[in-house]
Amino acid sequence: MVVALAVAGCGSAARTAAPSGGSQQKQQKLVVWDWKSGEPAATAYIEKAKADFAKRHPGVTVEFVAQPFDQYYTLLGTAIQAGKGPDVMLFNGGGQIRDRVGALLPLDQYVAEDKSRLAGWDAFSKDGKIYAAPVTLQGHPIYYNKTLYEKAGLDPANPPKTWNEFVSGCAAIKKATGATCFALGNKEGFGIQFFLSGLGSGVLTPQEYDDWIAGKRDWTSPHVKRIFELWKETGDKGLNNDGANSTAMFTDIFRVFETGKAAHIIGLMSDIGHWKDFGEFLPPDKIGVMRAPVVTSGATPSLPYDGGIGYAVAKWTKEPALAADLVRSLTSTDALTAFYAKAGAIASDTTIDLSQAGPAAVSIASEIKSGKPALHVALSSKTLDLMGRLSQQLLSGSTTVDKAVQQLAATDRAG
Amino acid sequence: MPIGGTSPLVRPAGSVRADGATVKQPRRRQDARRGRTERLAPYVLVAPAVLIIVILRLWPLVLGVNFSFTGDGELNGTPVGLSNYLALAGDPLFRTALRNVGLLVLLLPVAVAIPGMLATFIYLRVPGHRVYRSVYFFPAVLSPVIVGAIFNLMLGYDGPLNAVLGAIGAGPVDWLGDPGIAMFTVVGVHIWATFGMALVVFLAGFSTLDASLLDAARVDGASLRQTIWHVIIPSLTRTIQFVFVTTMIGMLTSMFGLLFVMTSGGPEGATYLPEYYIWHQQGQMNQPALASAASTVLFVVMLVVGLLQITLLRRAGRQD
Repeated sequence: MVVALAVAGCGSAARTAAPSGGSQQKQQKLVVWDWKSGEPAATAYIEKAKADFAKRHPGVTVEFVAQPFDQYYTLLGTAIQAGKGPDVMLFNGGGQIRDRVGALLPLDQYVAEDKSRLAGWDAFSKDGKIYAAPVTLQGHPIYYNKTLYEKAGLDPANPPKTWNEFVSGCAAIKKATGATCFALGNKEGFGIQFFLSGLGSGVLTPQEYDDWIAGKRDWTSPHVKRIFELWKETGDKGLNNDGANSTAMFTDIFRVFETGKAAHIIGLMSDIGHWKDFGEFLPPDKIGVMRAPVVTSGATPSLPYDGGIGYAVAKWTKEPALAADLVRSLTSTDALTAFYAKAGAIASDTTIDLSQAGPAAVSIASEIKSGKPALHVALSSKTLDLMGRLSQQLLSGSTTVDKAVQQLAATDRAG
Repeated sequence: MPIGGTSPLVRPAGSVRADGATVKQPRRRQDARRGRTERLAPYVLVAPAVLIIVILRLWPLVLGVNFSFTGDGELNGTPVGLSNYLALAGDPLFRTALRNVGLLVLLLPVAVAIPGMLATFIYLRVPGHRVYRSVYFFPAVLSPVIVGAIFNLMLGYDGPLNAVLGAIGAGPVDWLGDPGIAMFTVVGVHIWATFGMALVVFLAGFSTLDASLLDAARVDGASLRQTIWHVIIPSLTRTIQFVFVTTMIGMLTSMFGLLFVMTSGGPEGATYLPEYYIWHQQGQMNQPALASAASTVLFVVMLVVGLLQITLLRRAGRQD
């Protein structure tokens, strides 16, 4: 029976390009899946994008279907398997979209005009082709609490530049305020990703950094190993909040930072856990952004960032040009300005004026030009998944840095 | 009972008299037709149910098994033989998930003993037994997501339970972050959340208990332990078996929500169960064919466990 089923497996599971719900009649409809359009902070953004699209295509209805984020890729995976689903869909940059480019339409010919205006294309590209247009930029600045710095007698305008200065500063803060150095949530294994990207540019040399992003990753390099040693050290020396392996990243850890229980957090630039989010609890002028402390001499710290989220077009859509045009409306300057103003996201549009935002946002914006892609985004979902589990083992002491790096190298090579 | 034409129960009366010379030819043909209709009737009546089972249950199952022999990603749709199964065998995470199934089986007696003991106390009318009955059942109406969220707060490293432990001088325990403890924590919460239903089944079982046996035990001066061991447990054998089966099914199939909310499979993958693994591979890692292979393995595991339970129940039934 097994053999029969194996033979029968030939074909029946192969995807067929079935058409979506669109019809050939005059009344056309585009369906968009995302997890953003249901959020109040994104309402103005979606309205602007819809208005922009309606102006150019009055006869076309656009339906936004907001899916829950934690189920999003499960639902999308099912839709992709069936070859049916939305015409336009939202993706996170990096592995999530690269793993699914087989179901997407290359957008190069449609977005040529937007290429210079928007930043962050790399996260949505594979093999030289663009598969989505970036809406936000997502990166991992190191935020710090200026109030805690002041209480510990440190200069908030002049954050530490080297790792040793950083650690001794943390010791002073701990003594004066009881706050830990890092707010770290690693329950889902995301903490290590933020740590790797947030601190990596202070550990790897510029050449090593560029090689890593280009796919030439030398896992035997002492500098790569040093990042994981630092991860373990921060756990062993009590620089993290207690119970990091059971603290959730997106629901719990930002609260630890906001309530002044930790002096630093490697946060985000968009979505949640960024300057505007923290602003609800910490006065905006008390949130600082610093570069990664230098660990290796010769390392040049830079802001790690990529395209954050972006809209892509499904291969099976009946109206590729129309769907691509909707993507262009969703990344128009007007729409993105509304998104930045309401949600605090650092939008992909480099022409937006950020000077009215808090000092943290201005400081992030000034780093965008010299910034480089984040280290963890270059890794495959499989490697990231394994890295999450290994990072938990490193914190709990059930594996060594050498063994962890070896396993990561093996998965990374296997792709 | 066979439903074939040979059965004397469905053989039409006319055919018995068919060799009688007095029966005319047309009558005989009519009888034969009626016989055929009656023979076919059961099949026709059963057909809708069979079709529904085949179309909605068996066919998707076959498709799923079929899909597990194809590749993921670039190999999507192409047959890859047993390679998904080999990948599963080589994946330490899947092996952990299967080991955890074994752990659940080992913890099963605890999950049955707790409602059993509590139901016994309620039956023996400990003071306030009416209150306990509703209090014990209450968690059964809560969704696993809510239960998980409540216990996440309770069991957090800075949470109230560790605060209590700290107050009495015991060190804080990382209930959900220590790989050696986390699985037991989640199972404990699952038992807390679900034992109410088993308790109700036990109480129903108690209602069939012969009260005169208990009176006899009391007159003979049996202690509480002796009463439970020699009177209550033997009288409730069937109920206990039933609770064993339903609790086992509940543990193997409905812990996903709790795992998802409480540990996300972590720490270090220590709390993975096959169900969670399947969801993770399909949704998060974009490997639906591998997930299908894992589903097939889980199906076989459930089939084996189910058949074993049926065998045990049959054997126990014969002893009765």
